[in-house]
Amino acid sequence: MSAHEYVERFSTRQRIEHLFVMSLFIVLALTGFPQKFYDAGWAAAVVSLFGGVPQMRVVHRAAGYGLLFATVFHFFFVLLEVVVRKARLSMVPERQDFKDAIHQLRYYLRLESTPARFDRFDYREKFEYWGLVFGNSIMVGSGLVLLYPMLVARYLPGELIPTAKIAHSNEGLMAFLVVITWHVYNAHFAPDIFPFNKTIFTGKISKHHLQKEHPREFERLFPEDASTETAAAPPTAPPPAPARET
Amino acid sequence: MSPRRHRLALAATLLTAMFAATSYGLPEPPKESPSEEAEGCLGCHEDPSIEVAFADGTRRTLQVDRNAFAQSVHSGKVACSECHPGFQEVPHPERRFASEDEFRNGMRQACQTCHFQNYSRYMDGVHHRVAKEGGPAPSCVDCHDAHAVTPPGKPRSRVSDTCSTCHSDVAEAWAKSVHGRLASGPKPDDAPVCTDCHRSHDIQDPKTQAFLLRTPETCAKCHADAERMKPYGLSASVVSTYLSDFHGMTASLEAPHAEGTNRVTAVCIDCHGFHDITKVDEPGSKVMKENLLKTCQQCHPDAAGDFPSAWLSHFEPSLTRAPLVYLTKQFYTLLIPFIIGGLVLQILLHFWRVVVNR
Repeated sequence: MSAHEYVERFSTRQRIEHLFVMSLFIVLALTGFPQKFYDAGWAAAVVSLFGGVPQMRVVHRAAGYGLLFATVFHFFFVLLEVVVRKARLSMVPERQDFKDAIHQLRYYLRLESTPARFDRFDYREKFEYWGLVFGNSIMVGSGLVLLYPMLVARYLPGELIPTAKIAHSNEGLMAFLVVITWHVYNAHFAPDIFPFNKTIFTGKISKHHLQKEHPREFERLFPEDASTETAAAPPTAPPPAPARET
Repeated sequence: MSPRRHRLALAATLLTAMFAATSYGLPEPPKESPSEEAEGCLGCHEDPSIEVAFADGTRRTLQVDRNAFAQSVHSGKVACSECHPGFQEVPHPERRFASEDEFRNGMRQACQTCHFQNYSRYMDGVHHRVAKEGGPAPSCVDCHDAHAVTPPGKPRSRVSDTCSTCHSDVAEAWAKSVHGRLASGPKPDDAPVCTDCHRSHDIQDPKTQAFLLRTPETCAKCHADAERMKPYGLSASVVSTYLSDFHGMTASLEAPHAEGTNRVTAVCIDCHGFHDITKVDEPGSKVMKENLLKTCQQCHPDAAGDFPSAWLSHFEPSLTRAPLVYLTKQFYTLLIPFIIGGLVLQILLHFWRVVVNR
């Protein structure tokens, strides 16, 4: 098996979605944080970049609507794929994910000698995906309350508006912190990944990486390869140390 | 200013200085003491019939009130000729003025010699701008008097009295306000007078964004001071609660970009009023619960229903006040460190196992 043989991991639709959400996330953080940290010097500098708060808010709100549509379209496409192409819902958390998480933690603490054997999406990827889904819903929902406070207060308690402000401000901060720690580590700084995991942009993953990071998916996709590998290295033997390659 | 204009300005300044030196004589050290010189001048200028005639036909008295001048801060310290150079000779050289305005404008320069800082502040102020545009506006002596110059803020109510000479409508509204009543009560020093909010020399046009967006800062001088607010049972967190809300955050961010008179956000005075400001629980108060919706509608014409509750009335959220806001805040205070701490711990463990302890 060549290290240069590739498998498609993400469809064009998924790659575009990632690029779109990534760009929106950067724009939203850039136009949102000056409003949260309004008394910081850098906040004033960012506002100057847009020429004033009203102008910056137009950009923030447009990007917010972009995120709203990205979320709606995402679920629309997932539904379409499930109904029409009978696709598997590979992001739904399963019992195995909790087992994997515990196994992986035990592995970190040297209580297991091998890491967990993941399927198409491991528990970390699922956690981040659902975090994004819930986070987006909170951000879009609270953002709409803040954008249309008069409409909201016509039918609902006015206290929802400052509540939405607190939720929007904190959820946004949490999303940003998750991305700059967890996501950036897993996509860039993790020792096997450094400096850059290009899969989400190219859509391709090498068979070698697939086998290492998602062995159970690899076994489903390439039963012959898997059996030869298994023959060469029986599962009882400790797996080779994770090779570092770019 | 272009270099050419710069040189022209320099030349003009030098010429003026030379002209001043030749026409009035260089200021010699006064032979007499200021009070001796004043005695000489008062010999004539105490007479109420002494007048100057202007080219436009109007006249003006040149009488100086001996007692008023004796009580002024300048008495015995500043000689007459320091403000009126070129008048040591008697009889004085003849000079012609088109009008009283021209006469007074010439005199204003006299203050600049010693009070340069306040003079240049005045040049930045709205009164100077109006004067320059030909409108009626005071110069130094209109507020401070020419000869009876005494400390302008002693007593403090004097400041408001001075301003009310021209701004009588404002003074009337202010006198009835909570601040005005305080000023005429037993503790007048606690009350803000005109200059505390508007400043004295560099007074800005109060309709501009630049001025309005600074109102939170202006009100904070007293209302964020817990010591000052304590005797009145007022909260000192009114400014911080305003600033952390949507309007206040916008005001902080917009202040450096403030231009013109287009309003972008509500500041203190939009809800509380300004000269006619009342206590919050007084009937007619714009910020009373019953009147609040109307106050919101000034900027949000579509406001209806429970919209005023969106503003927490300067209260910090708590279990009794705005519990939903309070609980959401507490929830995130716990959730953010838990999630981020957990993820960072996993990152560290992963790194440690894969690299260090493989």
